[in-house]
Amino acid sequence: MDKGETLLEHMERQGMSRRTFLKYCASLASLMALPPSAAAAMAEALGKARRPSVIWLPFQECTGCTESITRSHSPSVEGLIFDMISLDYQETLMAAAGFQAEEALQNAMKENYGKYVLIIDGSVSTGMDGAYSCIGGRSNLDSLQEAAKGAAAIIALGTCASFGGIPKANPNPTGAVPVSDIIKDKPIINISGCPPIPVVITGVIAHYLTFGTVPELDKHGRPKAFYGETIHDRCYRRPFYDQGKFAKTFDDEGARNGWCLFELGCKGPITYNACATSKWNDGTSFPIQSGHGCIGCSEPDFWDAGGFYKALSTPANPLKYVAAAAVAGAAAGVAVSFANRARKQKAKSEHETATTSDLEK
Amino acid sequence: MNEIQFLTWVRSTGLNIALGLFVLGMLWRLIEIYSLGRKQDMAPARSAAGASGWHTIFRRSLPPQGMMKSSPISYIGGYIFHVGLFVVVFFLAQHIKLVDSLLGISWPNLPAQVIDTVAVVTLAAMVLILADRINKPVKRFLSTFGDYLAWLLTFLPVLTGYLAVKHMVLPYTTMLALHILSVELLLVALPFTKLIHVFTLIGSRWYNGDISGKRGVPV
Amino acid sequence: MSSISQIPVQVLTANDGLTGQAEAVLTEIAEMLSRFLETGKGDSIDLRSLPLSPADKIWLDEQLGRGEVEIGIDAGGRSVVTETAYAGVWKIEHRDTEERIVAELIEVTAMPEIVQPHKTDIEKSYNTLQSSLKQIS
Repeated sequence: MDKGETLLEHMERQGMSRRTFLKYCASLASLMALPPSAAAAMAEALGKARRPSVIWLPFQECTGCTESITRSHSPSVEGLIFDMISLDYQETLMAAAGFQAEEALQNAMKENYGKYVLIIDGSVSTGMDGAYSCIGGRSNLDSLQEAAKGAAAIIALGTCASFGGIPKANPNPTGAVPVSDIIKDKPIINISGCPPIPVVITGVIAHYLTFGTVPELDKHGRPKAFYGETIHDRCYRRPFYDQGKFAKTFDDEGARNGWCLFELGCKGPITYNACATSKWNDGTSFPIQSGHGCIGCSEPDFWDAGGFYKALSTPANPLKYVAAAAVAGAAAGVAVSFANRARKQKAKSEHETATTSDLEK
Repeated sequence: MNEIQFLTWVRSTGLNIALGLFVLGMLWRLIEIYSLGRKQDMAPARSAAGASGWHTIFRRSLPPQGMMKSSPISYIGGYIFHVGLFVVVFFLAQHIKLVDSLLGISWPNLPAQVIDTVAVVTLAAMVLILADRINKPVKRFLSTFGDYLAWLLTFLPVLTGYLAVKHMVLPYTTMLALHILSVELLLVALPFTKLIHVFTLIGSRWYNGDISGKRGVPV
Repeated sequence: MSSISQIPVQVLTANDGLTGQAEAVLTEIAEMLSRFLETGKGDSIDLRSLPLSPADKIWLDEQLGRGEVEIGIDAGGRSVVTETAYAGVWKIEHRDTEERIVAELIEVTAMPEIVQPHKTDIEKSYNTLQSSLKQIS
């Protein structure tokens, strides 16, 4: 695809019909949580969109995000969107290695300076000047600062890049921080999730192409179209929550009847993501549909937010002070009792008179 | 601190501190109260119908002659919000789960719609009672800072709990954290304010009824 | 043998797993029909954006039933447009080339938009047909 060509021209050249395009837009509108009637407007705008250059840098990550994204096969909607971007640097997917790869990165940055979209997955290590995570002898911190300079926008892909994720989990040995802690002067879109839903990243790119802007973000920098509602809001088990019908174990009657998993530790009510509607594995299901509660992976610090199997209304950690407090309380009570008795005894022996103010005590 | 950290704090450190202070305060106060002691009663007990500790426990829950007419809001509203609190605190599934996780005992819950309705009625009754307290000169004169504090500490958990469940005003995460925090404030204050009546009410009624009963006077 | 018979097997009835949400969808469709009759303006529901349980979907399909028209569209994967037992209410299922469902809609209109050819496409086909006629003669 020629970089100056619009999507519609590209499609017509490939012999794709208008109906096919309308269909894509219908599914795009669906996954972007737009009303079905918006499909026509999207078709119009997307048809005129041009192809952006994308540079993808992996930092402290497990490649789970890349795995998730590449699970979206061509020529699906996701595939269509990926056809539209020019992925100029992606270590895991690119054929080049070593110095050639580094050169490709430098060239892409130079050619598209100020215009490329920078995708980061993984957190940035700041401990020991970033020595915990280096690529080609350069720390991630260094690479990020350089690549961010020429970026039009940055997509922080996955919970690690968005919020620090597992590397930042207590006690955070590598001094891991999210991208937004380092880069302050560029628009950053956080696409959290461990991993994020494939269609969410393509949805964000589609939005960028359709409207030419960064989508509306929530206070954690996540696009509201996908992170505007909690898993709980869109969960098909929600009516059971409202009725107070809960599974108590993973194999009881309630679990078999598909009742709410709140008591089994589901973090759906505090987790903002699109799993309940976009689903996973080509739309097969999502964790709650498979009978397991949500672990809250798209939220900041989900790893340190108490156990995955502890209900939100229960203590996150075992109680520590209660036994000691009971002993201290009993001791205080006994001590005060003795003091009271001594005072009473003294008042009695000294024939103190009671006044009305004593009654107020 | 983001809202998840806030929620985790109230679910761990905050809860630890609050429950610790609550247990400490309760044991202190209860031991202090129950060890006060009275002089030994040398007189032979008299008997009169209805004069005993047990009678008093129940009788004190009924309005004395004429009081229902002169202070209907206190009695009717008071009943409604006390029963409401009991239902909301002990029959919401999430609360039972909390007790289960702490003490290992559980019982069936009520449907959430029932709890919702009861919570709204409870809140309304509490607002009415506060308005009545401020409105009536005598009640206003008798009210202290402690009375208003006790009202607020009781009102906030119900309000935040309702808003959290209904996903209103603030995001659920923050509202749930505020709800738990408000309960923790209540727990800490309970032993040291008039809210301690949760634990002393029955004992003190029995005691008053019992000593009056021995003198042959039903109270 | 004995251990196999100990496994509790439970047969679900048709109503297990119904949440009551599908009923709301049906009410919404009725609303949309009445609006269409009044204003002539069609509308649609994105079924995938709704928290419907699998049982809800089956129930909804049963309630809507099948009408006389079924249109297959072969455009970047199969799409099926089916008339429900209620005239003017269509069910649209879009699949991609790998047969995955990419959109599921209920559309209330006389004829769904995706079925109708676009005017520019008709103009194009007229020109193409003209030129092929010229070649023949």
